[in-house]
Amino acid sequence: MTYVIEVPQILDERSFDQFAAAFAEADDATRVLVDAHATSWASPAGLIGLLCAGQALVARGGPKPLLTAPADKEVTHYWARAGFFAHAADLFEVHGSVPRVKPNPERNVLLEVTPVTVADDVHTVVGKLQERSAAILTSELSLDPKATMGFGMALSEACQNIVEHAGTGGWVAVQTYNWRNIGRKVVVIAVADAGVGFRQTLEATQANRFGDRWGDATALEAALIQGVSRFRDEGRGQGLAGIRRWLDRWHGKISIRSGTARIAIIPDWEKDDEALRDGLPAFPGSQVQLVVPAVEREAR
Amino acid sequence: MINEIDLTEVLARSVGSRHRDLVTRSTGAKVRGGIEEALTGRLAGDPVVLNFSAVRVLDCSCADEVVAKLLLEHAIGAEGQAVCFVIRGLTETHAEEIDHVLRRRRLALVAEEVGQRPRLLGEVTPSAAAAWDVLATRGSAGEEEIALALALPALETRRALDALVAAGVVRLSAGRYLPLTAA
Repeated sequence: MTYVIEVPQILDERSFDQFAAAFAEADDATRVLVDAHATSWASPAGLIGLLCAGQALVARGGPKPLLTAPADKEVTHYWARAGFFAHAADLFEVHGSVPRVKPNPERNVLLEVTPVTVADDVHTVVGKLQERSAAILTSELSLDPKATMGFGMALSEACQNIVEHAGTGGWVAVQTYNWRNIGRKVVVIAVADAGVGFRQTLEATQANRFGDRWGDATALEAALIQGVSRFRDEGRGQGLAGIRRWLDRWHGKISIRSGTARIAIIPDWEKDDEALRDGLPAFPGSQVQLVVPAVEREAR
Repeated sequence: MINEIDLTEVLARSVGSRHRDLVTRSTGAKVRGGIEEALTGRLAGDPVVLNFSAVRVLDCSCADEVVAKLLLEHAIGAEGQAVCFVIRGLTETHAEEIDHVLRRRRLALVAEEVGQRPRLLGEVTPSAAAAWDVLATRGSAGEEEIALALALPALETRRALDALVAAGVVRLSAGRYLPLTAA
C-alpha cells in the first residue's frame, strides 16, 4: 500500500506541523509518496524538512519513497536553482517535470541547499556564505557589517549541532525574503537533520535532573535556555549561547523543533508565535531556524 | 624579539585549509596542536603573541578549543613555568567570542593592538579589573600606588594583584606591576 503525505501549499514553519502529522501517520506504510504537486512555495526550512523526511524514510528501509514535484514550473525551477532536487534525487524517486538546471543561486539564495555531515562541510559552508553574503546583507537588509561577521559564527554553530550530535548528516540553506507579517526583508538560516534529536542527545546527562518531566520540550529548554551540553566539560554548550547573543543584538529569532516539541525565542516584531509547544506530531531529528530582520529605517 | 604565531598559518599547516575561518571544535583542537608545536622553538620568558589579524570568522567552539584550552594547559601552570599569551589582530566580533569563552572558564587574557591601550578579555574579580585599569593606563605601578588610586585596603589590593599575576596578565618586576604586553 502506498501512503500519501500531502505537502501543504505553503510549506514553512507554521505549516510544518501539518506535514509532520501526515509523516507520523505513515509510520508503518510499505511505500510513501510525498506529494508536493500543489505546493506553491517552500521556505528554506520547508525544503530541507522535505529532505529530512526522505532521509528518515530511507533509514526505515523498504522501497525508495516517491516525491511528486510541484506542478507549477516556476516553483520547480526555483527549487532546482535553490539546490533542492540535486539532493532529493538521492533520497526519493522523483516524479513530475524537474528542470535540469544546476544549482545557481539567485540573489535571494545566499546558500543553496547544502549537505552537512563532517566538520569540513562546515568550513565549506561558512567560506561560501562569507564570500557571497556580506554585500547583500549590508545593502539589501542594511545590516551592520558586524552582524555579517557574527552571521558566519551563528551558521557554523548551527551546523556543528549536526556534526556533533545528530549521528547522521543534515542540510543547511540560507535565503533572504519578505517575512509574512512585518513588511520587512529577513535573512533566514535553516539547518535540519533526521538524526537522534535533542532529547536523546542529552538523555544520559540530563534526564535524571528532570525526572518525570523529561521529554522533548525539557530537552530543548535545557539546551537553548540553560545552555547545557551532553559533555561534562564546562566549556561545552557554548554554540547555542553564541547564537542567542548574536540574535539578541540584531533582534533576531530562533526556533528549534525536535521530536514532539518546539521552542522559540521571539523578538518584539514577531506577533504570531509561541515560546514553547509540546505534544506536536513526532518528526525525527532537529530543525533549527534563525531569522534576522532588515534594519528598520526611521521615518524622516 | 617577539614570539608571534599567525593563526591562519597554523590553520593552513594543521588542517591544510585554504580558508581563513577558525570554525568547529575539531579544527580548533588541530590548531591548538599546531600552536603547541610552534611553542617548542619560542624564546623563554617572553609572551607568545597569537595573531588573529588574517582570521575572518571565529566561532565560539573554535575559540574555546584554541584560546581557552591553550590557557588552561599553559598559562596556569607550575610557578615560573607558565607560558603567557597576548592576543592581537582581533575584530570586535572576535574579541566578543573570546571574552565569552574565557568568562565561561573564569580565565583572562590580554588583547593589544598597535597604538591602543591593552585590554583585558575574560573574567577577573572587580578589584582585579580595577587594578588592571590603573596598570593599563599608567603602564606600571607599585602596590601602594594602586591601593591609593583605587582607595582599596592593602590586603585587597595585594589579592587583586596576585590574581592578575596568577592569571598571566600582569608581571611583577623590581617591585612594580606591569601589564603583560608584547611591545
